[in-house]
Amino acid sequence: MKSTRLYILATVLLIPIDLSAQSGQFGPAHVEIGAQAIGVVTRESPAIHGRDLTEGYLTQPLVMAMASLWNDALQLKGTLDLEGVTIKRGELNAGILGEGYIDRRHPHTYLHELLITGQRIAGDNGASVTLGKGFAPFGTDDPMARPFEKYPINHHLAQILERAVAIGAVRTRRVILEAGLFNGDEPEGPGDVPNRARYWDSWSGRVTLIPFPQGELQGSYARVRSPENARGGGEDQHKQSASIRLEDAQHSGYGLLEWARTSDYVGSTRTFSFTSLLAETSARYGVVSGALRFERTERPDEPRLTNEFMTPLPANDLSITGRSRWTIVTARVAALVPVPMPFTVEPFAEIARARFTPTLTPSGFDPAQFYGADHIWSFSVGATLKVGMKHMRMGRYGVATTEMRGMKMAAMDMDGMR
Amino acid sequence: MRCFAVFGASLAVLACNADNVTPPPPPTESQALPVLGQGAVSDRYTGELWVRGNIAYTTTWGTRANQGNAINIWDVSGNVPTLVNTVIVPNAATLGDVQASDDGQLLIVATEYIPNGSIMIYSLADPTNPQLITRYATALISPGVHTAEVQSVNGKLYAFLSIDPGGGNPARLVIVDLSNPAAPTQVFTAEMGSPFVHDVYVRDGILITALWNLGITIWDIGGAGAGSVANPIALGSVSTGGQAHNVWWYHNALTGEKRYAFVGQEGQGSVGFSSSGDIHVVDVSNFASPREVAFYHLEGAGTHNFSVDEVRGILYAAYYNGGVRAIDITGDLSSCDAANRSVDGRCDLAGMGRELAHGLQDQGPVYVWGVQLSGGRLYASDMLNGLWKLGAASFPPD
Repeated sequence: MKSTRLYILATVLLIPIDLSAQSGQFGPAHVEIGAQAIGVVTRESPAIHGRDLTEGYLTQPLVMAMASLWNDALQLKGTLDLEGVTIKRGELNAGILGEGYIDRRHPHTYLHELLITGQRIAGDNGASVTLGKGFAPFGTDDPMARPFEKYPINHHLAQILERAVAIGAVRTRRVILEAGLFNGDEPEGPGDVPNRARYWDSWSGRVTLIPFPQGELQGSYARVRSPENARGGGEDQHKQSASIRLEDAQHSGYGLLEWARTSDYVGSTRTFSFTSLLAETSARYGVVSGALRFERTERPDEPRLTNEFMTPLPANDLSITGRSRWTIVTARVAALVPVPMPFTVEPFAEIARARFTPTLTPSGFDPAQFYGADHIWSFSVGATLKVGMKHMRMGRYGVATTEMRGMKMAAMDMDGMR
Repeated sequence: MRCFAVFGASLAVLACNADNVTPPPPPTESQALPVLGQGAVSDRYTGELWVRGNIAYTTTWGTRANQGNAINIWDVSGNVPTLVNTVIVPNAATLGDVQASDDGQLLIVATEYIPNGSIMIYSLADPTNPQLITRYATALISPGVHTAEVQSVNGKLYAFLSIDPGGGNPARLVIVDLSNPAAPTQVFTAEMGSPFVHDVYVRDGILITALWNLGITIWDIGGAGAGSVANPIALGSVSTGGQAHNVWWYHNALTGEKRYAFVGQEGQGSVGFSSSGDIHVVDVSNFASPREVAFYHLEGAGTHNFSVDEVRGILYAAYYNGGVRAIDITGDLSSCDAANRSVDGRCDLAGMGRELAHGLQDQGPVYVWGVQLSGGRLYASDMLNGLWKLGAASFPPD
C-alpha cells in the first residue's frame, strides 16, 4: 500500500517536468506550473519521555499551478499538498500544536489552495476580489514559503489557512487594504473540506504599508468562530498580528520580525492568550545560503491520545492542562547543487534548540517532567527538490501580492526562498 | 516611522501578558473542614472518585508524567487513604468516570479518547482486585466515553454514556442495558449537546442531561408515565448560561421535597492554576418549565462535581483550585432580600451566607475534581495530589 502511494506521488511530482508546460502563453492565458518536495531526516533529543527519535519524511510535496488570463484580469491558482500521504503521522517539530497534532506538525489538506481572482489595475492602484479555498487575509507568509524546513511553532497564531475565503483588496503604491470572510473551522484531516454550515462566520482584515520597495509593514486582526470545534459552539479566537518584512532588491537577503497573539474567548469573556515573537533572517552568497531564526511562543498544553503526539480534536471541554513558553533558536545552511534547468536541488542542514517553561503557576503540567529534559535539540538534514515554477510568497492574492505582475516574476526567480 | 513605533509598542505588550488567579479567602463564618489524611498521587492527574464502604476507586486523567490510564484502589478504613492496588486500562489515554453498581457487584469505568472510547465492566467479587468481565466498545462510542452514569430503572441496570464529539461526529447519548454485564446491549442513542454532553443524572425514572451551551434537558424514561429508557421523552429544558456540566437533583430526605436541581457550570480553566463556573439552582417542580432561581459564585474558582447530604441539606462541591465548598441548601432557595438578588432575579447563595464550610485551601495548590460523602466522611479527588479524606461539615454549625 505504501509503495503504491509513493508511486502515485512520484508520478504526480513528475507531471510538471514537461518543460513546455512549466510556463507559457496560450492565447490570452499565461500558465505556470511546478512542484516541490523535501526529503529530510530529523533527530530529536529528547522527543518525548526522555527518548530520542530519528525519523525520515518526504515533506511539503506540492504541485502548484497558476493561470493568468487577459493580462491578469483573471487569475486561477491551485496548490495540491500531498502531506496527507507522506506525513500522515505528522513531522517531528518540537513545540508545535494544531489540528490534533502536538510536537509533530500536522499534514495539510490535499487541496491547499484553489482560488479565482478578478482584478483591475490602473497604474499603481488596483482592486481585486478573490474566491475559493486558501489563506484568509491575516498575518505573515506561510512558513512553507520561508527559509526553513522546520515550521515555527506559531503557525496557528500567525496564519489562517485552508478556509473557504471571499477577499476584497484595494491598493495604492504604498498601502494595501484587505478584508475577508471565511469559515472558522480548522481542517480535521487532510481530506477535510470547509464546513459549509460555517461559511463566512469569521472575518479578518489586513493593512500593509510599503514605505519602500524592499520593505513591508503589516498589521492584521481576525475574529475566528469556534476554530477547533468544527460544528461550532467551541471557544472563539481574536487574533492579532504585526510584522516588518525586508528583502533586498536582488532577493539575496531577507528578514522578518513578527508579533502575533491569539486570545480565546467564551462569549465576550477572554480566557487565555497565547503570544509569539519571531525574528528570522536569511542571506545567500552564490550557491550557499544561511538562515537564523529566533522564536518565543506560548502554547496551551493539552491532554494527549494514546499516541502521545496527538490531542483530542475537538477537546471535550474548555480547559487546558497548562500554558508553556517555548524559546527556539534555529540555524540553517544550504547549498545549491548544479543540476539542469528547470530542476533545483538544494541540500540543507538545520539545527534547533528549544527551551520551555510553564507560564501559569501553579501549573499541573511540568514540561520538563513530561519531556524528560528542560530543553530539546533537533537536527535535520535533507534536500529540497523543485521543478518548474519556484515557490512564491504564500498567503496573499490579487492586488495584495506586494509585487504585481512584472515584479512577481522576479520574485519567482528569487534563489534561496522556497 | 510611526508604524515602527506602533510595532514596538505592540511588542512591549508581550511583557504585559500576566495572568494571576487566586481564590479569595472564604467568608469568616465558613468553617474549615478538617483534613484527616491524604493518599498521594504525583505521576498522574487524579480524576473521578467512587467510594463504597472502606474502598475508594479513583481514575486518572489526561497526560502528566504518565497517561491517565490507571484505576487506583484505596483502603479508606483509616484516616489516611492507603493505595492497595492499581489497574492499568490498556488502550486508553484517559479514564472519564468510575462508578460501582448499587449492589456492589460491578465497577464501570469510562475510557477516552478517540478511537478508544469504551466502558470497562469489572467484577467486584474482590473489591480490591477488580476482574474485567468485558470491554464494551462500538463505533458509536469510539470517539470517547466522557461519563458513564450507572443506574437502575424499573429494576434493570443501565449505563448512560455521554459520548465525546470526534471523528466528524457530534456528541451523543448512548444508553446501554447492563442486565447481562458480559454482553451489554445498546437500547437508545441520540445526538445530544452543543457541542458536548457531559454528565447525566438519573433518578426516579427521570433523566437530566447536561448539554453544555444548551443548558439542561429533563427526560421521562419511565418516571413520568410516558417515556422509557428506550424512548426518552423530553419534558422541558432550561439554559443555565452555558457550559452545563453536571447535575444533582436534590431529594430532601426529611421533607420529601424534590424541587431543586443543582447544575455545575464548567468554564475555562488551567489545571492547577485557574477555573471558572458557578453552581446554578434550577427549580424543577414543574418539569415542563424549569427555571433558574439561584446561584452560587466563588470568585477565582469554578465548580466541578457534587455530592449532597440529603438528610442535612448540605451540598458539597468540588471547586478545583478553590478546594471544596459546603453549601446550605435547606429551605426556599428562591427567596432572598433585594440585596442578595441579582439583576436577573436569582438569589445569590454566597451573599446569603449559605457557605457553611470549605476544605483544602490551606494544603498548598490543589485542583479538586470530585467529592463524595460516604460514612460520614468527605472524600475529595485532587488532580494534583491524589485522594483526600476530610471530616464532614457540621450543620447546624458547632
